[in-house]
Amino acid sequence: MEKQIHIEPVTRIEGHAKISVFLDDAGDVRDAQFHVTELRGFEKFCEGRTLWEMPGLTARICGICPVSHILASAKTCDAILAVRIPETAELLRRLMNLGQMVQSHALSFFYLSAPDFLLGWDTDPATRNVVGLAMKDADLARKGIRLRAFGQEIIDRLGGKRIHPAWAVPGGVNRALTEENRTWIRDNLPEVLDTIRFTIDLFKKTFATVESREVLGTFDSMYLGLVASDGTWEHYAGMLRWVDQQRKPIVEAHDPNKYFEIIREASEPWTYLKFPFYAPKGYPDGMYRVGPLGRVNVCDRFGTPLADAELETFRDCQNGQCSGRVFDYHYTRLLEILASLERIERLINDERITSPAIRAHAEVNAREGVGIHEAPRGTLIHHYWVDENGIIEKANFIVSTGHNNLAMNRAVQEIAKTYIHKGEVSEGILNRIEGGIRAYDPCLSCSVHAAGHMPLHVDIVDSDGETVQTLRQE
Amino acid sequence: MDLVIGIGNRLRSDDGVGREIVDRLASRPGLTTASVHQLVPELIEPIERARRVLFVDADVACRAIDLCRVHPANARGVGHGLGPEGLLFWAESVGIATPDAWLLRVPVRTFEIGEALSEEAERAVHEALVRIDEWLDETAVGIGSEEEA
Repeated sequence: MEKQIHIEPVTRIEGHAKISVFLDDAGDVRDAQFHVTELRGFEKFCEGRTLWEMPGLTARICGICPVSHILASAKTCDAILAVRIPETAELLRRLMNLGQMVQSHALSFFYLSAPDFLLGWDTDPATRNVVGLAMKDADLARKGIRLRAFGQEIIDRLGGKRIHPAWAVPGGVNRALTEENRTWIRDNLPEVLDTIRFTIDLFKKTFATVESREVLGTFDSMYLGLVASDGTWEHYAGMLRWVDQQRKPIVEAHDPNKYFEIIREASEPWTYLKFPFYAPKGYPDGMYRVGPLGRVNVCDRFGTPLADAELETFRDCQNGQCSGRVFDYHYTRLLEILASLERIERLINDERITSPAIRAHAEVNAREGVGIHEAPRGTLIHHYWVDENGIIEKANFIVSTGHNNLAMNRAVQEIAKTYIHKGEVSEGILNRIEGGIRAYDPCLSCSVHAAGHMPLHVDIVDSDGETVQTLRQE
Repeated sequence: MDLVIGIGNRLRSDDGVGREIVDRLASRPGLTTASVHQLVPELIEPIERARRVLFVDADVACRAIDLCRVHPANARGVGHGLGPEGLLFWAESVGIATPDAWLLRVPVRTFEIGEALSEEAERAVHEALVRIDEWLDETAVGIGSEEEA
């Protein structure tokens, strides 16, 4: 008798989703699906708005990733204005994106995911959260808070507020960095650098063996991320690079403005989240991964000394090949925080950073524009078409969570097959499935819609439609 | 120092009243204010430095301005619904000796979408500012013993 196991909603991710595990007659896993059950539709209601509104409008897609959308949108608008923004404006946009990288990754690691693997996967769900983490290791929790606060403070000091700052605009940014704010960032860097180095060491000690990082499954895929012209890790500009599991380039450097030549999107009737895929390999074989694991796998180096030393250690674990371990999203997230902080230090020490020349002015000079950069969760693509007055005729967003959709489904399948046999399930096992999703740090607000933290509800339904078991996590 | 934290969503009309109130307090000497969309763990930093804390929040369920003491109480996780008690508990759990804390509930009419306050909320702002002045002077009802609160 076939059974279905539904995990709904998935907790501690940004948004609302459901997981279904389909069992065969023997109670073993036949298939698994990650459903995104809400529809948002931002692409449609951007139509008819003006180009100048787009950074502020698309920022409202999400309360966690507004900075990512503001920057991608501003870059898209730059392309439509056909302007080259002042160099200080680019440095400042980079600074804000790095601040976003730090705060978002710290949120994902310390608040959302660390309770699982530092408190234990099978700990009572009532205490397996960030408060439980604080009660076990107050110092670590405090460090995590201060690290995230540092990233948020950069955003606040640049944009005037932490959420939805209307700061990046077509042609540049609308506020320069003051010497006071520059000094604040510089003065607070040593503490957060110490924090991330401490956390990486703790992580490596806790998961000293490769086997200990296999808990969420391992599988081969392609990886996508931006890289600089020399292959260095990039987050704001650069070219698109795909590599295979052996870290051999499939596409060495593809023009981001022509992303549509090699990325297509598929749809499935059971989810609102689309499935981008690498077009030459077709659907679903064109699965690839983005985000921290993708970026770290595709880059040749971070380009900063501390992060490069850690990258060498990370690469040694897999003999120079890509890591396919889902759990390594957490590891690479920490490495990217370190790299981001080193880059922030470099930017703050650049004398151009406080120049008042921060915006270029122009009118509509092109009818189409693409803006791509790396959001914390992965490659973010905005693409607009406008009329001669700059009114949006069409918009396309391919967000980070969407790129990972095929991979998230695969991760759920792999974990389910490992931990569910003969229909036997427990909360701890189900949490590993959720953990497989959470490792990708999906932002369903961006990809479709958001609902926030909700209780866990699991129904096990047999092929006759009868609920044979219900598990609840209130 | 005393810390006043205004909580609310300015795009939800009266829900932003707490933030409107703290904006009007921001220039008071010796007072630290924070205007926030929602309570987040990062607020433990200013809380740690505060002698007393006052949370100011809109409430459609209350009929009059209400000042009451709040104490740390366990919160499951740190989500969008984190309240003053949960934030204080969170601060305690990372080793902070939490300061005395109060919640000023401000009666409002609506949380409909919009950036303007209702007339009721506008009136409540003035009354709230008077109560906060009393709180700052430590003469307000609700300051002092638990019984008074």
